[in-house]
Amino acid sequence: MKHLVKGQGFGAVIGVALMLAVFSLIDFSGWWTAQTMSNVIHYTSILGILAMGQALVIMTKEIDLSVGSVYGLAGIAFIMLQPALGVPGAIIAALIIAAAIGLLQGFGVVKGGLPSMIVTLGGLFTVRGIIYVWTGGSVKAFPEEARNAVVTRLFGGEILGLEAAVFWMLAIGAVLNLMLWATRFGNHLLATGGSAESADSRGVLTGRVKITAFVLCSVLAGFAGILTLADQPQTHVTIGDLMELEAISAAVIGGCLLSGGRGSLTGAVLGAFIVTSFRYELIALGAPSSWFITFVGVVLIVAVIFNQKLARMAGHSV
Amino acid sequence: MAHPLISVKNLDLYFGAFHALKDVSVDFNAGELVGLVGDNGAGKTTLIRVLCGIHKPTKGEVWFDGTQVKEFHPKLAIDNGIETIQQSVGLCDNLSIARNFYLGREPVRKILGIPFLDFAKMRGESRKVIREFGLRDNVSADDEVERLSGGERQSVKIGRAVEFMNRVVIMDEPTNHLSVREREHVNELAVQLKEQGLLVIYITHDIFQVHKLADRIVIMENGEKVEDARTTDMTADELEEVIRQGGRKVEKRGAA
Repeated sequence: MKHLVKGQGFGAVIGVALMLAVFSLIDFSGWWTAQTMSNVIHYTSILGILAMGQALVIMTKEIDLSVGSVYGLAGIAFIMLQPALGVPGAIIAALIIAAAIGLLQGFGVVKGGLPSMIVTLGGLFTVRGIIYVWTGGSVKAFPEEARNAVVTRLFGGEILGLEAAVFWMLAIGAVLNLMLWATRFGNHLLATGGSAESADSRGVLTGRVKITAFVLCSVLAGFAGILTLADQPQTHVTIGDLMELEAISAAVIGGCLLSGGRGSLTGAVLGAFIVTSFRYELIALGAPSSWFITFVGVVLIVAVIFNQKLARMAGHSV
Repeated sequence: MAHPLISVKNLDLYFGAFHALKDVSVDFNAGELVGLVGDNGAGKTTLIRVLCGIHKPTKGEVWFDGTQVKEFHPKLAIDNGIETIQQSVGLCDNLSIARNFYLGREPVRKILGIPFLDFAKMRGESRKVIREFGLRDNVSADDEVERLSGGERQSVKIGRAVEFMNRVVIMDEPTNHLSVREREHVNELAVQLKEQGLLVIYITHDIFQVHKLADRIVIMENGEKVEDARTTDMTADELEEVIRQGGRKVEKRGAA
């Protein structure tokens, strides 16, 4: 319990409890339906994967604005390359493309000494542009046999009545949590975000840590894109638009401090749950879908204030 | 002694057009406590940053234990047993004492072939240091460094230097912002390290303080070494006079 309260994700736990209570009160029958829950959990898993990658980058005191575009490009690469490479080959190629984008951006930030906000903003536009050029504005249909291929079902199908994405998210979350909290790399990552200068002075290769974080973040975004399109292969060139903002919001709502060094991967997934729940509850309530982004904005600001108060209560100087 | 542990020969360092170190030559021996004294901007910290691998000299040579140093990187310095204790750098506030203690050389234990952090060892060793170096009783190895006072932070850094069997400990203004008792404690530790056969380089403004501890005093001014004397040969007052005399040249604006 003490560990939970001290953890950065605690604010998100309270947020989730509060949100569920309010949604139950105002719209019990609309909210607690199998359909809503299934949609919310499915989309939470996909956004959660993006948010965990984002959380890793934020914990190194950087930010990645390009994840929405990378999510889109990897997903579209999966569909575009499938005829030539087959389903497994297309997945691997899409992930390599995502990793390469992360590597390039990481190099730009570390070797170029540039602010990650600018480098990844450039990445956001560049990658989106590549999607337009590559597809010529419209994405081809995914052939029927590829849709039903075993590998496609493994990413986009259902396992034990739940979307496969849920299991992927849980597995990735478990691995990343172990990596972050129980390995040398994790300790170096937290140290890099906490005080890069101190980490440097202890011989930590902080540049390499940051580049690795950017690569992980891009690969996770790409993987989330593949999960999405393996499930619903019809898409459009705008896929993933504004998703970077949802991912950053989820990570921040989940307790990641932009000052670096503090955050929670579990919190990021809970943050994704909150963001997603608002989307579906607003739809369920019949509000115009354009209200969603406004609500995310409000929730984000409230969460930041709340998390900061919580961190100060725990005695951190933030 | 066959050769000094660290030997700096005709070192020059430029930051762009700024000449930070000017033809500095100095030797440091094992088992010696050397006070490195000078005003702000005299080049003390810059010299030290070369020794701990942060800056690469523009010209000149650095020899460590009889071999010439070709590459400069903090990690190489640490691997060679050169530990630097700086005023504001070295501890990450967001990490526990145990995690900070082993930062950069974390012990690992393999579970299913995957190297995981050996938390038991990390906690055990840092708990030992917490006790030995007189941190408050209610401080635990899992507490974040953020909670510690200035003296306790220095104690953790010095404890870390002792623990890893270093050969050189460089202390950059180690007693700044410390209470009187904490200061005495840090100074005792510096002497202890020296008595264990380590080379201790102690950087400070305070010539009177370091004169009591040191075997030798090196005074720097304006990027140059201006004095290098054994404490048995010169009194603190004489040395202070050197610092005054060697004051920075301030160019007066001519009337024309």
